[in-house]
Amino acid sequence: MNIQQELRDAARKLLAEGGVDQIIGWSSGSLPMSSTPLFAATKEEADDLIFDATCGSNLTVYFTKDRRQIARDGKKSGVVVKGCDARSIVLNLKENQIKRDDVVIIGVPCDGIIDRSKVEDKTGGREVLEFSDNGKNISVKGRGFDIDIPRTEVLSDSCISCVHPDAGMSDIFIGEPRGEQKTKDQYLSVEQFEELSAEERWERTKQEYSKCIRCYACRNVCPSCYCNECFVDQNDPQWIGKTLDLSDTIIFHVIRNLHVAGRCVECGSCERACPMDIRLLLLNRKVAKEVAERFGMETGVDPDAKPAMSDFREGEKQDFIMG
Amino acid sequence: MIRLEKDGFKNFIEELIAEYAVFAPVMKDGKHMFGNISSVEDIDSSRLNTEMSPKEIFFPHSEVLFEYDEDGIRVADGEKKPIAVWGMRGCDARSLRMLDKVFGGDGERPDNIKFEDPYWERRYGDSLIFSVACNEPLSTCFCNWFDSGPHDSAGADIFVVDIGDAFLMDAVSGKGEEFLKGLSGSGKASEKDKKKAAVIAEEAVSLLGKKTDLGELNDKLKGLFHKPIWDSVSAKCVNCGACSFTCSTCHCFDIQDESRKGRGKRVRIWDACMFPIFTKEASGHNPRSLSKERVRQRVMHKYSYFVDNHGEFLCTGCGRCISVCPVNLDIREVIREVLAS
Repeated sequence: MNIQQELRDAARKLLAEGGVDQIIGWSSGSLPMSSTPLFAATKEEADDLIFDATCGSNLTVYFTKDRRQIARDGKKSGVVVKGCDARSIVLNLKENQIKRDDVVIIGVPCDGIIDRSKVEDKTGGREVLEFSDNGKNISVKGRGFDIDIPRTEVLSDSCISCVHPDAGMSDIFIGEPRGEQKTKDQYLSVEQFEELSAEERWERTKQEYSKCIRCYACRNVCPSCYCNECFVDQNDPQWIGKTLDLSDTIIFHVIRNLHVAGRCVECGSCERACPMDIRLLLLNRKVAKEVAERFGMETGVDPDAKPAMSDFREGEKQDFIMG
Repeated sequence: MIRLEKDGFKNFIEELIAEYAVFAPVMKDGKHMFGNISSVEDIDSSRLNTEMSPKEIFFPHSEVLFEYDEDGIRVADGEKKPIAVWGMRGCDARSLRMLDKVFGGDGERPDNIKFEDPYWERRYGDSLIFSVACNEPLSTCFCNWFDSGPHDSAGADIFVVDIGDAFLMDAVSGKGEEFLKGLSGSGKASEKDKKKAAVIAEEAVSLLGKKTDLGELNDKLKGLFHKPIWDSVSAKCVNCGACSFTCSTCHCFDIQDESRKGRGKRVRIWDACMFPIFTKEASGHNPRSLSKERVRQRVMHKYSYFVDNHGEFLCTGCGRCISVCPVNLDIREVIREVLAS
């Protein structure tokens, strides 16, 4: 049985017998090579559920923030999660944003999510009208082109170095788990960046963040970014300017980064949501690497562990304290 | 209608640059957008629609209105040369006409709200817009819903069709006519050229999706304000500003004073009705505290309020909001849902 059918069957069963009010998953999007969040409350709606390499949004986001009340109001929701998304669920459970009894976690094994902007680079910006994926290559067709691209060349940066493709915490698991990926170069892109001189790092940073248009798509798709009032939305006092002044823009991104330190699950939603294709993950992964090195912790992997920034252990590396 | 050989295009752009500050689609850090060009080589026409709309040429994201210090207030000078835009698409040219109704002195408005925005006027007022017809519209294009199409010349000063080996140019406005009169290196378009352009136009139209009739949209919306439809329409929206900021017609802005120790500046900055602070009042109360209220506002402004105030929809069907939305909230589906309700 294919994974799609298994997913739909499980969803129908949960809606019929599991006391679940809705299943939050993905359905096919309105564009080729896209998916869209689906809130399925009936068996018929559950038949629109899909899971494939376009299902990039981290649906945990619908459990967080006051304005995202979809999964709240005493509803019990089933939610379909990839490995990274499950880590977001774990984090939000730890941070008391989700009640365990309100959620049924449906894990799916993930082979990586396609980054649309990388595909567009391959087609020279020509519009993709048909898309298929055989697990090894993707095929994209449009007016005047029909090309096969190895998946590895168009996967999101977050997926290339992914260690945990399976939902670590799930009530139901659909399909075959992929198992932990032993990748030696989990933080390769960060290490390459660290090796650059300070000037080169600054140039790269300036180049990336000067593209920002302050639309906050990165923040708004992030399940770890759920302050009731974000500091950029405060105006009394107002902490930062709202123009495209580079220092203000960078302050927004750096503060966001530090605020999700030890809380970012590196799902890559922010990077895929960015309309300007800013390589946002690099900084997130730099912070994740620091957290891993200092505290030996990966966010949301161990359901019993406290989040890194909420815990203190004797003997922790404290070389940042001036002695 | 005149014919400009592609061989003469370099020359044409150089002449244009001598007289105007010329903007055209360029590739900047991997993003396709309008930029101020200094030579023909800067132009990149590999993609149909730029990722950011050309509204930012005339209405930039952040605009310093004036600066002040102990010596007084200063308004920055405008550009020395008038602006010419090559490679605009018909939808975007029409969007500027819509924005002109809001910012321009000639806008069709009741007398009591007549206003001319000098910052808009000094850029758009004497600009020269070359619309280049879309020969291969995208699947996100829905200009045909708005009684327009890929070869619509409305909003342009000069309408251009790429017929392969040459550009055909037709004056749409008086300004455009003046310009074409003085254009060197061009000849008259032949009947054969015109026929070729007509065939291309027909093909382009056939590539668009099916048109939805919007005749009842405004009336429908008026009856829906308090209805539950907004719960389902807004469910997946995460309230970011990607749609508003890439939109060619969204024009809401915030005014900020950035001051420090005796000097400062007043800046006009793009804002978006998706942001919680957009309507937050000084008391702390927010009349649009919920996502669905903000989504409703965006839809209402485009397809109802603007129609009441200015006689047309505040949307050209350029499709940018559809391609950038991180959760694929497709405005076409919203419109269909409203019409079906």
